[in-house]
Amino acid sequence: MTSRVARGHGLLLAPALALVAILLIGPLLHLFVVSFVKDGLSLDLYGRIFTSPAYRVPLLNTFLIAGLVTAGTIILGYPVAYMMATVGPTTARLVAFVVLLPFWTSALVRTTAWIILLQRNGVLNSLLTSTGLIDEPIAFVYNLSGVLIGMIHVLMPFVVLPLYAAFRSIDRNLLMAAEGLGAGSMRIFRRVIAPLTMPGVLAGGLIVFMSALGYYITPAILGGPRQRMIAMMIQFHLQEQLDWGMAAALAIVLLAMTLVLFWLFQRRFGLDRLWGGVAGGGSLVDTIGSGGAYRRSHGGRLVLVAGALVGIFLLAPIVMVFPLSLSRSPFLVFPPPSYSLRWFEGLLRDPKWLESVINSLVVAALAVPLATIAGTLAALGCRRLAPGLRMVIESTMLLPTIVPHITVAVALYYLYASLGLVGGRFGLALGHAMLALPFAFLTVRASLRSFDPNLELAAASLGASSALTFRRVVLPQIAPGIMAGAVFAFVSSFDEVILAIFLTDISSRTLPKLMYEGVAHEIDPTVSAVAVVLILASAIPLLISMLRPRRRMT
Amino acid sequence: MTGGREVRLEGVVKSYGATKAVAGVDAIIAPGEFCTLLGPSGSGKTTLLKLIAGFENPSTGRVLIGGRDMADVPVAKRDIGMVFQNYALFPNMTVEENVAFPLEARGLGRSESGRRILDALALVEMDGFAARYPRELSGGQQQRVALARALVFDPVILLMDEPLGALDKNLREAIQLELKLLHRRLGVTIVYVTHDQEEALFLSDRIVVLERGLVAQAGAPQLLYRRPANRFVATFLGDCNLLPGILRRGAGVALTAGPVLRIAELPTLPDGAAIVLATRPEHLLLSASAREDSFPATIRETIFLGNAWKFVLEVGATRCFALLPDAPSSDALTPGMTVHVTIDTIRASIFAAA
Repeated sequence: MTSRVARGHGLLLAPALALVAILLIGPLLHLFVVSFVKDGLSLDLYGRIFTSPAYRVPLLNTFLIAGLVTAGTIILGYPVAYMMATVGPTTARLVAFVVLLPFWTSALVRTTAWIILLQRNGVLNSLLTSTGLIDEPIAFVYNLSGVLIGMIHVLMPFVVLPLYAAFRSIDRNLLMAAEGLGAGSMRIFRRVIAPLTMPGVLAGGLIVFMSALGYYITPAILGGPRQRMIAMMIQFHLQEQLDWGMAAALAIVLLAMTLVLFWLFQRRFGLDRLWGGVAGGGSLVDTIGSGGAYRRSHGGRLVLVAGALVGIFLLAPIVMVFPLSLSRSPFLVFPPPSYSLRWFEGLLRDPKWLESVINSLVVAALAVPLATIAGTLAALGCRRLAPGLRMVIESTMLLPTIVPHITVAVALYYLYASLGLVGGRFGLALGHAMLALPFAFLTVRASLRSFDPNLELAAASLGASSALTFRRVVLPQIAPGIMAGAVFAFVSSFDEVILAIFLTDISSRTLPKLMYEGVAHEIDPTVSAVAVVLILASAIPLLISMLRPRRRMT
Repeated sequence: MTGGREVRLEGVVKSYGATKAVAGVDAIIAPGEFCTLLGPSGSGKTTLLKLIAGFENPSTGRVLIGGRDMADVPVAKRDIGMVFQNYALFPNMTVEENVAFPLEARGLGRSESGRRILDALALVEMDGFAARYPRELSGGQQQRVALARALVFDPVILLMDEPLGALDKNLREAIQLELKLLHRRLGVTIVYVTHDQEEALFLSDRIVVLERGLVAQAGAPQLLYRRPANRFVATFLGDCNLLPGILRRGAGVALTAGPVLRIAELPTLPDGAAIVLATRPEHLLLSASAREDSFPATIRETIFLGNAWKFVLEVGATRCFALLPDAPSSDALTPGMTVHVTIDTIRASIFAAA
């Protein structure tokens, strides 16, 4: 009987494992092989990457930018985490929402918003010149500062969430004890708070660095020619040079760097630290709460002000597109001279926008159920596995979030090219399902963790079959987790752009891809209307999933 | 609810890898008996309960319920009511739905179930709470609902895994009494797991004391208290003083503290063997003057318990306790005094020194 149960659990894992194996591991292995082939087996491609300045410079750039972004997120994230950990529960939830919003907002929307805000004749420059603070507009974007602003903005949650956890785990009595022993607030910070939050800094920094290495959209749009990163080199070789081998080799180099960092992280902090927060916007917020009043030093109040400023930085570009999308003016002037809905009407009238919205929805409609069902079954199947095996399976389930999207895109491009799936919505939907799988898996796994296994034993002892137990006892309890997983899967599919850039064509392109094509040329207010649609598509589900009433378990 | 079934354990072993959680247990729990499995953590009591319930299968040996081997009977078919330590009430169901669940699982009709649910809830005096959710109940109320849910389908046996552990002392004592009365009324066989020896004494018809996966001793509570079979039972069940000494065959016991005590019934140990004399605190007599069979001790501390006094004594390097009913004369005994201790040897036990 035991072995029958075990086999049943193995079957639950099958769909998710198939998804990851066929759409990720297989194509990556293929990519790996391709990268060694040039007129027979050779290391030529790798040799060129590490010797030719044409590759070395972008590679060094990649590290430099990732390093600066990491430093930036830590410096800006620290006050935010402090604020989140020390304000009342409602405010803390709000701050969490503000931090998570950029992460869950389409890359396109964020970068577009930053351009509108920061370009030469953008909102900020016109404000500064009109008030006479500066004479000449400042070049904020299309250079290093643009890249850093854009990337820090989106990667902030990865630092804030572990730091928040570190702050929350500090026993308040320690601070009182330090004060009682005669330490001033600077000394308390230096000797107590800083060392205790250091693991959070390290965890967050490592994950930011890892993610930053593979960034594509943000540096491509907000940077200049001198900010070329490795992801852009990959795109350049694949789509412009048609040098597939080199694209594969670069993608493998990027993957290798990412995996090494991931391995370091996993050894030091374990898997849960990595994904506990970001994917489980819901489960994170569960723990935000019982803060209570916090007595602050002057330094603490200063940090709070800094935290609030960072909050404005996080929110400003996203909020600003709302009034612009309602502007009557065909120019992006701020504040808008008068308001109208003309750009939203234009959006509905223009068949190319409408078509792309439909494409996005069709892709999500395929990807979301697939990811949710496979992820839910896998989370259920993982429960009874031996710890060692479970670790392996869980790592596999999380792989799609670790591999840089640009590498995934290249790998799938090869696979789909041989299957004739390039340019279609179906292929993209499969890719999105694979990418969204971890979100469903994690949210359901989180809800299973809080599920008391005795309930199943109790049901059995009361005479229930396993089917009845699942339907009446297990399912009702994990339903919120499944719902949250579906929400995250939808948002991740609806906002995804890199796979769409590589895998769709003019008839199957999704909303973010169309926007990407538009942003490169000119930004008209229609784009801000699209941005609003995309923001609402992510913010509303996210807000619902974070604020939905939680049943109190005893 | 027509009485209970017999539970019989035959050579039951349960190993997890190299460790044996249950190392060979034989026991018979009579129909309608309130039997407690008592032991410290790691003694195998909960594993034994899981084996009876069917959550685990024995590595070797047999579990028989009502004379029938349970090897191939899954949990759901054993008709066993179980109350879990944390109650395991389904949080997504109301009290009524929780109690209805086992009837639903058995495909009972609505009208028949309705009546039985009401009866079960009335039995535990929770009939006014049918529409509540478990989270809206106090710990004691949840406990009652769990009991009603475990009884509603007339189980042949009721298993309880430290069900009162999460309750505070007063509530625990009130529920203990109710449970005992309920058991007498229903006559169901109850197998009850606890590590709390006072609770075991209070509730049980019979106690099975477990130590490292084996039965240390089984019997009526008063038997175990009066005649512990070994040092473990003597010290685990009730307070116990252990006084070192030497066995003198034909004479008795020479205590390290001095006197030779005449004891007729000696264990089968060789002459001159090192032993301990196990005696309950209430079996120590204190007096101001020495006797032939007494030994001197120093009072280190006196503790007033209301109806009695507890004296902390030092006999050489050994610490022991004496319990005396409160009397005006007790006030005269103060820390620092030397008193002379006499032991009620008839009610003492002798074990080989560890």
